[in-house]
Amino acid sequence: MATIQELKNELKKLNAEYAKIKDLPADQRADFGKQLNIKKQQLNAEIAAAEAAAEQEDVQPLDISAPCDINGQMPEFLTADFGSKHPLMTELDRVIAIYQSMGFDIAESVQLDDEYHMFDSLNFAKGHPARDGYDTFRTEEGFIPPAHTSTMQNRVLKANAYKLAEGKAIAVAVPGRVYRNEDVDATHEHTFYQCEGVYVSKDCTLGNMLGILREFFEKYYGQKLNIKTQPGYFPFTEPSLEFLIEKPASLGGKGDGWLEMLGCGMIHPNVLKAAGIDPTKYQGFAWGGGIDRLVMLRYGLTDVRNFEAAKLDFLKEFAC
Amino acid sequence: MLISLNWLKGGLRTDGISDEDLVKLIGARLVEVEGVIDQTHKYDNIYAVKVMYCEAIEGTHLHLCKIDDGGKAEKVERDENGYVQVMCGAPNVHEGMFAAWIAPGAIVPQTYNTDEPFEIGMRKMLKKYNSFGMMAGADELDFGDDHSGIVELNPATAKPGRLISEMFGNLNDKILDIENKSLTHRPDTFGILGFRREVAGILGQKHTSEDWYIDPEQKFDNDENIKLDITIDEALCPRYTAIVFESIAENKNDYLNFDATLLSRSGMRPVNPIVDATNIMMLATGQPLHAFDYDKFVAVGGSKTPKIIVRAAKKGEKLELLDGTIAKLNPDDIVITSNNIPVALAGAMGGASTAIDENTKRVILESATFSLYNLRKTQMAHGIFSEAITRFTKGQPAGQTKAVALRFVEAARKYLKPLALFDTQKEKQKPIEVNLTLTQLNALLGTDFTADSVKRILENVEFIVSLDGENIHVVVPFWRTDIHIAEDIIEEVGRLSGFDNIPPVLPLHATADPNELFALKSNIRDHLAARGANEVLTYSFVHGDLMQKVGQKPENSYKIINSISPELQHIRQSVVPSLLDKSYANLRAGHDKFALFEMNQVYPRDLGFDNDTVPRSRHELGFVFVSQKEQSNYYIAKKYLESLLDSLNISHILVEFKASSTNSYYEPKRSAMIMCGDVILGYIGEIRHDVLRGFKLPNGTAAFELELTKLLDQEQGVNSKDFRTSDYPAVLRDITLTVDDKVKYSDVESKLRSILSSFIYKLVPTSIYQAEGSKTKNLSFHIEFASPDKTLTKDEISAIMKKLESVK
Repeated sequence: MATIQELKNELKKLNAEYAKIKDLPADQRADFGKQLNIKKQQLNAEIAAAEAAAEQEDVQPLDISAPCDINGQMPEFLTADFGSKHPLMTELDRVIAIYQSMGFDIAESVQLDDEYHMFDSLNFAKGHPARDGYDTFRTEEGFIPPAHTSTMQNRVLKANAYKLAEGKAIAVAVPGRVYRNEDVDATHEHTFYQCEGVYVSKDCTLGNMLGILREFFEKYYGQKLNIKTQPGYFPFTEPSLEFLIEKPASLGGKGDGWLEMLGCGMIHPNVLKAAGIDPTKYQGFAWGGGIDRLVMLRYGLTDVRNFEAAKLDFLKEFAC
Repeated sequence: MLISLNWLKGGLRTDGISDEDLVKLIGARLVEVEGVIDQTHKYDNIYAVKVMYCEAIEGTHLHLCKIDDGGKAEKVERDENGYVQVMCGAPNVHEGMFAAWIAPGAIVPQTYNTDEPFEIGMRKMLKKYNSFGMMAGADELDFGDDHSGIVELNPATAKPGRLISEMFGNLNDKILDIENKSLTHRPDTFGILGFRREVAGILGQKHTSEDWYIDPEQKFDNDENIKLDITIDEALCPRYTAIVFESIAENKNDYLNFDATLLSRSGMRPVNPIVDATNIMMLATGQPLHAFDYDKFVAVGGSKTPKIIVRAAKKGEKLELLDGTIAKLNPDDIVITSNNIPVALAGAMGGASTAIDENTKRVILESATFSLYNLRKTQMAHGIFSEAITRFTKGQPAGQTKAVALRFVEAARKYLKPLALFDTQKEKQKPIEVNLTLTQLNALLGTDFTADSVKRILENVEFIVSLDGENIHVVVPFWRTDIHIAEDIIEEVGRLSGFDNIPPVLPLHATADPNELFALKSNIRDHLAARGANEVLTYSFVHGDLMQKVGQKPENSYKIINSISPELQHIRQSVVPSLLDKSYANLRAGHDKFALFEMNQVYPRDLGFDNDTVPRSRHELGFVFVSQKEQSNYYIAKKYLESLLDSLNISHILVEFKASSTNSYYEPKRSAMIMCGDVILGYIGEIRHDVLRGFKLPNGTAAFELELTKLLDQEQGVNSKDFRTSDYPAVLRDITLTVDDKVKYSDVESKLRSILSSFIYKLVPTSIYQAEGSKTKNLSFHIEFASPDKTLTKDEISAIMKKLESVK
């Protein structure tokens, strides 16, 4: 292999070649120039590689098993006050703990999925405009970074169907990271967190769904809450609803305002069927809501962009 | 979608219900109302006036006018006849006309719902003429964009001093701003008639659609001389109705009319009587209509009589649209053609070549439905988001095209005489029927409806219901294209009667299985944060350059084809590069020493697929330790790693680093592989200098990464730590061993431990020293040991110390 100096000399020579261009017949200049550029690029890459290799040569190995450097200080942890947990993750842990206390198993959502789980298994007709509402990203192969945690419904139902046969209910909460192709501003992020709930049994009702959701938010905010609903539309639930709670006192609520917390509904028979569950024997409900918003409400945050920015100035506000 | 509350309330019994409550009910049982635009006083103090006297003022464009306002306005001066003086610059002002006059003290309607409402007063013009109020143009009244002159009112209905708001029905209105998204499946609610039917149902009132809508099969006497062929592809266009008209009056409004005021309140703009009538029909029924110039249509197609052919566009076909743009068509687009020459982009926009104008003699009116799937693609491909396509993409029912076309005949009678009607649908479609039981309904909702109440609720919105004991049989009206199964009917009953009336009941719950992965992550989070590290979240999407910077192959990552920017084009292969990427900004912000960690999923392609044939992920903990000062941080990272693994009770060893497909950023000479038995848990090391340069980070920056699911497999139920204490005195000693500088520290430590293994002991390294140029190094330790069952004698102690001190 040529040394770095040799390569550099070669580059010098090559650079000198450029002067010849002007002496060439006009029709040959472009081609000649192009050839020179290609060679120059190659040489530069070789020089860079050689320099990197040389630099690596200089690197001294260390004793991977030692507790500290030779003649060095014993390492110490940073001061504990510096440390922080991400507020979204703290909130997710809190949400999970409540669902668990209410008898829900927890399953984490995937972060790359396919059309079947994201749409087909959820009763979205092929090519239906409702798919557009999700502003999904897609990979070259057609995989989808999921736009909602409902992408897990089919898996969760399949994995737990055996419980129905045992006379038990399926009760699972599915937190996860989801993605939508939208421009980022103070209130929009293309990457955010949701938590899905799925409940199936022989005889659960829409009234049960409202009961569970109210219970969850009452535990979450530590107070009795009024609830209300609005009609919604999701292909995978029938009926479909938006669920609202009265603004809790801890967020400055005085019994007047309402907060839209999540979308919910009775699971569409086609969704149960797709998971191999007989919709004439079993029925269920599901819901999904954002975690980011819960955190923003709790701390009075106004800029959602801070969550994924990894800025210590922001994170240290949440020091343990 | 904007809906005039006055229009909506027509035909409903809303006495005793405040607008506020009505809006609340709509919100709770039909659709979210995003806002209510209150126009109740928008047209206060705006009068019809007669221009009694009009004199042009030489050398200016102004006219001095005296108007008769019936003596209604206050704050004005009147002449001996009781007329008010107004200056007017409009070219069309003339004596004897009726105009709309904004009296002093009134707000110009155009500015009414803006941040700066403009109040009209008295102005002195040309330094000597007092001008009270103003005579208004259509734009100032907020009835369109026309600024060419003042509006003229029809003398048949205008009386001096009559309020404009009364003249045109009731302009004192509230406008509902409706969130369309949750009505995606409800084409019927995109027309006032359908929306009103729902509101009736919500109020518990029986709604009955008019006959023209439900049963339009009236006889239509076609003029035998008029021929027209329609060829459709039913997959693209389920039904096409066309009516040929003859123009019998100029397509122009002489006076401001009701349609203009209604269109304006519905977020549209008046154009001319024919176009306005098509738009009013669309707002009323949700069915968009389109008018072609008959003669132009025939001329374009080169056929004697019109031949309408609806087909998929061909790749590369071009069409000039009404707005002058040239649309490049693709096979997902549907085109209306005249004898195979495209003349309109179906559902989206008409073509320029067949537009009606002031010379139009005959008109072809189109009332059709198209595949919403295709139109959705057209919408996206051409960026057309008109009121018409918004409705078409909800899937307007084929059942109403003829009814709406015939209704248009009535609406446009003054301007157009119908000659012949053509329709591709020969037989009425069979309605959908749904069966369900009362038990099924109550079991799904958790309610106790009676069969009769279910019947009443559904019949209010024109379902046809028959009961047979438990069994409920429902015939679905043609406009409810969204109803197919029992659950759809159950939703209707729950929604119309109010889901909020269903009592929330908590079901009995079982116990949940703990989720080990979340528990593990929670433990890790607590452990690292308590030691000063900061948990972060970073995007799953990274730049191709970032991967190249750290030596990862971009082809080992999934690539997003519709990414927001190149920075977010690849799905990341590991967490540590994202942490390195975020470190420099934190250094710059003045944090001179910090540790970042993130737990998330990564998707290097070479992980392959799971059973579902979906890409497999790795749950990864990434950790970096960065300091402003250039120093070796390997041992700090190692301290974090080891304390973490100890807390999780996972035994591990560090062995020689081996490259994987994703860990190319570690400097092999200063890195290690983290093993538990023969399982690779992860990697730890300093980052390569060339990589750090790319991130502008100091040399010595260190990182580690662990595969979380592997940690789960290794977690040991029982802690192997020695929690015993001794009742006998412990021996405290500091020792220093001199060893060859090639000797690995861990070899020395394990020899010491094996000597101490029969005691209860503590072994803490305190320093490693090597003099410059020396071939040996000194390892110092602080050692405490005690026997579990006796006090050690001096001899025993010195024997042990001797052993310890002889370790090499």
